[in-house]
Amino acid sequence: MKHAERNLSLIGFFTVLIVIIAPYLGLSNHLTPEVERQILFDIRLPRLLLAFIVGAGLSICGLVFQAMFHNPLATPFTLGVASGASLGAALSVFLGIGFSVFGFSSTPLFAFIGALITIRFVYGISTLNRGFSIHTLLLTGVAISFFFSSLILFIQYLNDMPDAYRLIRWLMGNLAIVGYKTIWPLLPFVLLTIAVVFYLSHELNLLTTGDDMALSRGVNVSKTRLILFFMTSLCIGAIVALCGPIGFVGMMVPHICRLLIGQNHRWLVPASCLFGGSFLIVCDTLARLIIAPAEIPVGVITTLLGGPFFLWLLIRTKTPIS
Amino acid sequence: MTLLSVSDLSVQIDNKSLLNSVSFDVSVGDYLCILGQNGAGKSTLLKSLMGITPVSSGRITLEHRPFEAFNQKALARIISYVGQRPPAIDMIVSDFIRLGRYPHHDAFAVWSDTDQAAFDSAVALTGIEVFLDRHCTTLSGGEFQRVQIAAALCQQATLLLLDEPTSSLDPHHQAEVHALIRQLNQDHRITIIEVTHDLNHAVQHSQYILALKSGKTLWYGDSDALLTAPVLSQLYDHPFVTLTHPETNQLIALSSEK
Repeated sequence: MKHAERNLSLIGFFTVLIVIIAPYLGLSNHLTPEVERQILFDIRLPRLLLAFIVGAGLSICGLVFQAMFHNPLATPFTLGVASGASLGAALSVFLGIGFSVFGFSSTPLFAFIGALITIRFVYGISTLNRGFSIHTLLLTGVAISFFFSSLILFIQYLNDMPDAYRLIRWLMGNLAIVGYKTIWPLLPFVLLTIAVVFYLSHELNLLTTGDDMALSRGVNVSKTRLILFFMTSLCIGAIVALCGPIGFVGMMVPHICRLLIGQNHRWLVPASCLFGGSFLIVCDTLARLIIAPAEIPVGVITTLLGGPFFLWLLIRTKTPIS
Repeated sequence: MTLLSVSDLSVQIDNKSLLNSVSFDVSVGDYLCILGQNGAGKSTLLKSLMGITPVSSGRITLEHRPFEAFNQKALARIISYVGQRPPAIDMIVSDFIRLGRYPHHDAFAVWSDTDQAAFDSAVALTGIEVFLDRHCTTLSGGEFQRVQIAAALCQQATLLLLDEPTSSLDPHHQAEVHALIRQLNQDHRITIIEVTHDLNHAVQHSQYILALKSGKTLWYGDSDALLTAPVLSQLYDHPFVTLTHPETNQLIALSSEK
């Protein structure tokens, strides 16, 4: 317990450090103070906040999925919600719909609707045979992901060059925003998800020991799982709709936190939020700096880190991952 | 005092009848063994008592209240369950045992003196002090079985359901776990329902036996009477001879070769 507390405060300390330093990196030194202020507060700070919220949200959802499926390789995108959102975005680009509602352009709206339809669909299929089966849920999600990915390829093929490029950029995941208006719609989803997952952290501890064990300790397994499924899916839907599918953050961060903190979700939840948030800030800062003044989409950076991490995990566990 | 009363319990899954009209009563401090062939419905019975497998029809009352009146958490304060073949548990032993306090906690409860006392007594009873800091995956079968029982005891339930707690253990460790179960039953008045394939253990140590066959009650009564009952060979569709143990003078059953 002591060990967990110490490492959590270390993560907290580094988070503060990263949040303070990151916005100043890559400022050229011949700016007037006024322009510098404008860059910091209108561009860097909102982008940093968005990176933190998205990183925290994805990590929490990954933590929940890994616990729920007893599978260390589960990611927030395993259930197909991200593919559904991507298909929605692809359709909006393909159809060339350019309207905006409440200040949102059509792409995030279509993406979010795509996510909602996918959640409903995946849930519907997994409850066809009595109960809410975790295995059916997982396999449904994987099947849906593959199917939607091929639909996206089909749409890509039909797109003209500029639209195809726009869609590819969207699918890489991006945090480049100006101002705060992207953050506000996302905030309630992520905050509520973190609160609910923290509230259910004892239940998550027990879910990792298997359904029978959790039930015999008094957890209402099906209700807990249903709440977690809908909450995390909505959160992922909102994140992907606004920032595109930023891969692997949600798989890597919970693992690193488990190594640092242990298995207790009461500590893992805050640790994953802080670590995930600051991790994505670091990735986004790298995305800004590597080929400055141009930028790489942050999804490219996280995915580049993700592949080797995945392999390291497989080698490290030694025992076959079931 | 009747703790658990089961009448006409039936369980069906996908139109397949797993349990058919099973009835029995358990009083506080009883030790009931459930015998039967593989697939007779023994584990299904335990799982439906723990709320893991849903009941199709019949009535269960627990502490004179209908089963439906308990939510899962309230149920776990009265009944705890040690199942067969648990998944690999990626946890330190002491953390795993602490999870047993879950039904006594709300979401923001802090670890209290009562919790610590329950933890300490569960650990002391099962004698697992030495491997509290070890990882669950590094324990042997016998050690993990004791840890599982400790976790169930930490729950401080009055009724303990055990599904073949000794089936994968060698004779020495079997005797050790059996002695622990008897101690819990006799010294601590914990009511036990145990599924077992060990006929002689059931006859010698439990008070009552419920023998199931194809989901139905084949025989239900005082343990001593089973070995002289005419149904004995039907129980496993296998002949047994009974003889007197040379040291204890108790009647024991021996599988007879055909």
